[in-house]
Amino acid sequence: MSRPLDPLGFEDEMCPVCKSRKYLNPDIVFVFNPECYHSMCLNCANRLFNDGPNQCPHAGCNKTLRRKGFRSAFFGDLAVEREVDIRRRVAAVFNQVEDDFETLQDYNNYLQMVEDLTFELVNGTDEKRRQAEAQLQAWEAEHKADIERNKKAGREADEMSRKRLAAERDAARQRRIEAMKEAEEEKRERVKNREMELDNLAKGITPATTEPSTKVQLKRRGGNRAGAATNEPLAQVSNLGADASEVERFRYRMHAGLSHPLMEKYRLDRQHVAGGYSFDDFAARALYEAFAGLGVFVEDEKEPGGGASVGGGGLSAGEVTTMAAGIAATGDVDKMDLD
Amino acid sequence: MANSPLVARPTDALQPSKPLPSSSGGTPSGGLPRSARGQRIAAEARPTMDLMEQMNEDEKNKYIKGKKLGEGTYANVYLGHSCLDASVKVAIKKIKVQKEYQDGIAPDAIREMKYLQKLRGHANIIILHSVFSSKDQNLNLVLEYLPLGDLEMLIRDVDHVRYGAADIKAWMGMLTRAVWWCHDNYVLHRDIKPNNLLIAADGEVKLADFGLARSFADPGVRMTANVITRWYRPPELLFGARHYSGAVDIWSVGLVFAELIIRAPYLPGNSEVEQIALICREIGTPTEENWPGVTQLKEYTVPSDVTPVAGKDKYMGRFGAVGSDGVDLLAKTLILDPRRRITAREMLEHRWWKADPKPTPKYDLPKKTAGAEEKAAADLKRRNGMAEDDDVRGSKVARKLDFGAAR
Repeated sequence: MSRPLDPLGFEDEMCPVCKSRKYLNPDIVFVFNPECYHSMCLNCANRLFNDGPNQCPHAGCNKTLRRKGFRSAFFGDLAVEREVDIRRRVAAVFNQVEDDFETLQDYNNYLQMVEDLTFELVNGTDEKRRQAEAQLQAWEAEHKADIERNKKAGREADEMSRKRLAAERDAARQRRIEAMKEAEEEKRERVKNREMELDNLAKGITPATTEPSTKVQLKRRGGNRAGAATNEPLAQVSNLGADASEVERFRYRMHAGLSHPLMEKYRLDRQHVAGGYSFDDFAARALYEAFAGLGVFVEDEKEPGGGASVGGGGLSAGEVTTMAAGIAATGDVDKMDLD
Repeated sequence: MANSPLVARPTDALQPSKPLPSSSGGTPSGGLPRSARGQRIAAEARPTMDLMEQMNEDEKNKYIKGKKLGEGTYANVYLGHSCLDASVKVAIKKIKVQKEYQDGIAPDAIREMKYLQKLRGHANIIILHSVFSSKDQNLNLVLEYLPLGDLEMLIRDVDHVRYGAADIKAWMGMLTRAVWWCHDNYVLHRDIKPNNLLIAADGEVKLADFGLARSFADPGVRMTANVITRWYRPPELLFGARHYSGAVDIWSVGLVFAELIIRAPYLPGNSEVEQIALICREIGTPTEENWPGVTQLKEYTVPSDVTPVAGKDKYMGRFGAVGSDGVDLLAKTLILDPRRRITAREMLEHRWWKADPKPTPKYDLPKKTAGAEEKAAADLKRRNGMAEDDDVRGSKVARKLDFGAAR
């Protein structure tokens, strides 16, 4: 496999058997046999194994290999290739899902066991590997029915999700086509209307009806939803807000032309004028704050029986934040927003 | 600020440097050696919590903190639920202790608490349920849980989300009402932009992130000009005005409106200078004629070639999708002179709301489902926001390695 970091293929990938290099023979293909994961070029593999099983040509490797077992690697690193093969094999046997277990703990234990076993198979010594292999086979024999069932369930789930995805894609395509059609139709209709108007003009009929074209435009602008919304009482959405409709400003009335020395001092200040400072807002706020709290009697507001949990405080816990914010709003915190 | 009751201060009694309440003389030199005295006080103080701590503890125990939704520079956000009813979901925003503000609460946290408290009770403002401090004096804000991401997400997802003028009208209506409520309570939000407009499960748009908010200043009190995300910043702030009004928010609202229509930021300047140039080109150059006094502002600089103020026909070409009434409203929010710019209240009384098409009911508004989670998580990394709901049980399962899927 060519590696992405080596676009020119200068990195020496050499066949250990015939010593030909990628540099000299750019078409060289490397293959390996999952029996021992030793790689060689395709030519050597063909040459050595065409006449039936033979020994691996790597020094010290006495595995007997067959031509049929050779394949090219997916990963550049054969160690990774091997681990992936092992994991695939293990996953095919240990294919239980979370629903097969009573508790989360059991499932996690199972996953831990599988991972331990996989690790032994991948990285363990010969001894450990043999043990793990035996364990794997024992499990396979023992849980044959379960494995089969889960395999089938897995296939079904795959099938389902594939179908679902396909359906979603279909629906999306359908929607797109419809939108396109709609746009097309509108365009056509507009052109038609325009032609009609022009015809009318040519015939000398004054266009008393610009109606058709505006109707089309409205339809377009409103999207498909305009129709759905017509039942909605307009007032609810267009006014100042359903729940916070109108804040009452009783107890006082604002008059135009209110004044205060502070306002007069800055009224003609260039920075205030150009920055858009609103003196009316200041006056309104000053009045509002002057009257805020009038007519509120703390005794009436207190909840009877509240604050039982707090020793002697008489405050329900819900008031903690209110109180805190109150202090925050009046105390030295205010200096924070001088900017 | 360090005296705020929101921070439990159990260490007070333990400070060995403080004179003992019992030692009448006040000089710590007499009596026990320092360390021994400290231990003795510790032993006395532990069993009884003071009133504030007790209240804080009660508040804290009302909520159960769940998994982490996201982490940002300012805060971590956790999903949580009420102790009494697990179906009441909340987002718990745990403010990180910031280096510059180790002795107290960061100003943006103060602002957020103060103004969310003040503005409570409007349908289009995010609800602050509660505040408590956890161990290490970390501040926790219990906020309304808004699972459907933000408006920016819908605007950007051109491939999957389609919306029309009726939907824009509904969203703008909710935004305008939120801003009106802020201004009616004499609060400037100062950071209105699509990704601070979160969407509740029922489609309601809620204004969030009050980290830059403040109340209207008195005459003569300077406010900082360095607020509002640049693309949504009005010309008076770009020119360094220190005395401004709710008009700054209205400009942002106008730009959100424009962005909803063209589905791209209308004035995306890469720097302040470029932002001013963009405003001059698209909307018109601010001059003494269209904005008396503007040349007196501290940082007034405009490109030398003067562009006349854009007429309605210019907007009509680009934003015609909302009809001529909508364009009229848009043009009024983008008036250069802040004193002539429309106010939130006047916006609500505009005839566009009464024109066809009627606003979409909130539960019929387009929603984004796929990908909402990632975006929401990304929002949290900034500063604020609520996010996704995962299968909590699945998250605890050990991950199963499957390389086979790579093929």
